[in-house]
Parts: sequence; structure tokens; C-alpha cells
Amino acid sequence: MAASKLQAFLNHPAGPKTIHFWAPTFKWGISIANIADFAKPPEKLSYPQQIAVTATGLIWSRYSTVITPVSFVFQKQKNWNLFSVNVAMAGTGIYQLSRKLRQDYFPEKEETVAKE
Amino acid sequence: MNALRSFWNSPIGPKTTHFWGPTFNWSLPIAAAIDTQKPPEAISGNMTTVMCLYSGIFMRFAWVVKPRNIHLMICHMSNETVQLYQLSRWIRAQRGTELKKEEADE
Repeated sequence: MAASKLQAFLNHPAGPKTIHFWAPTFKWGISIANIADFAKPPEKLSYPQQIAVTATGLIWSRYSTVITPVSFVFQKQKNWNLFSVNVAMAGTGIYQLSRKLRQDYFPEKEETVAKE
Repeated sequence: MNALRSFWNSPIGPKTTHFWGPTFNWSLPIAAAIDTQKPPEAISGNMTTVMCLYSGIFMRFAWVVKPRNIHLMICHMSNETVQLYQLSRWIRAQRGTELKKEEADE
């Protein structure tokens, strides 16, 4: 039972023998890198980059529900791996943006006191 | 005119999501191009390294996906170029700070 399920996965048109598997797998790296950067102070974050990551993640979440891995024959087999990675990308991007915006436009009270 | 019409009706043309996905993806190399004017301390080593791997893989993905998406491929080629440049700036800055630390220690 398990062996045949494993085989079904291995031979899936969006499975690990194809670029359709490895491309989204590497895309997870973007969200993981962003999560690692949660520890960075917001001054070191880049607005253009985080806006790009968020926008791309959102748009590709939509895109990934319509592209087909191999051909029109497999139209019903959507690429959920690609979908979830883009949702995660948008999520981490939004969080990073909120951290930077919060620091730039809603600074902590101690900072405003120090400036005066 | 014919070229315009064939673009308009293309399977990766502006009536399809296969056009708008890559269009939004251009925001990544454009953002990185903006960041080339910033000091290297603003570069994230994590993110830039990952972007280099990601665009490398996606150039191949854009080639094999159906329909073949040259627009996406060109977008990722551009991103690869600018991310590699940013990575080189970051590495150079890292080495610079390491050398300064060594000098301070001496």
C-alpha cells in the first residue's frame, strides 16, 4: 500500500523527478530566508525587496492555481506545492513590511522622547 | 500589426495570467536594482543567496512549463544577474568588515 503511494508520488507529473517539484521547493528558501531575517532590525530591511516579495507571492498564489504542470491532460491536478509556497511568501513579506512600517511611522515612545 | 495581434492572442499574452504573473515578478529584479544604490549593509545575505538559487531554478521552470514562458525566463535571467551582483557586493562588504576586525585586534 505504502509502496504504491510512494510510487504514485514519485511518478506524479509535478513530482520529485520534475522541475515542477524542485522549483517550488527552492522557492521555499525565500520565505525561510525572510523568516531568518525576522531577527534583523527593521532598519536593515529593504522596502523595495519586501514589497516585491509580497506582491509576487500574492500574484503567484493566483497563478499557481491555473498553470498545469505538464499538459492539458492533467488540468485537474493543480500544483498545491506552488500555491502554498507563494502564500507563505506573501505572508512573510507582509510581516516584514509591517515591522519596517511600524518602526518608521509608529516608533516606540522611548525613541520620540530621545529625539526631543 | 501582425506582430501585435499575435502577441495579443499569444498563449502567454496579456489576456492570460501567464503574462501577468511574470509581469509582477519583474518587481523582484527592479527592487534589487533600486537596492544596488544603497550601501551594502542593507543587503540581506540570506535573501540574496536564496534569490540566486531561486532564479536559477526558475529559468529552467519557465522553459519547460506549458505553455513555454520566455517572458518569465527573461525576468528570472535579469533577477539572477542583479542578485549575483548584490551578492558580490555583500561578500565584498563582509570581507571588508572582517579585515577591519583583524586590524583592530592587532
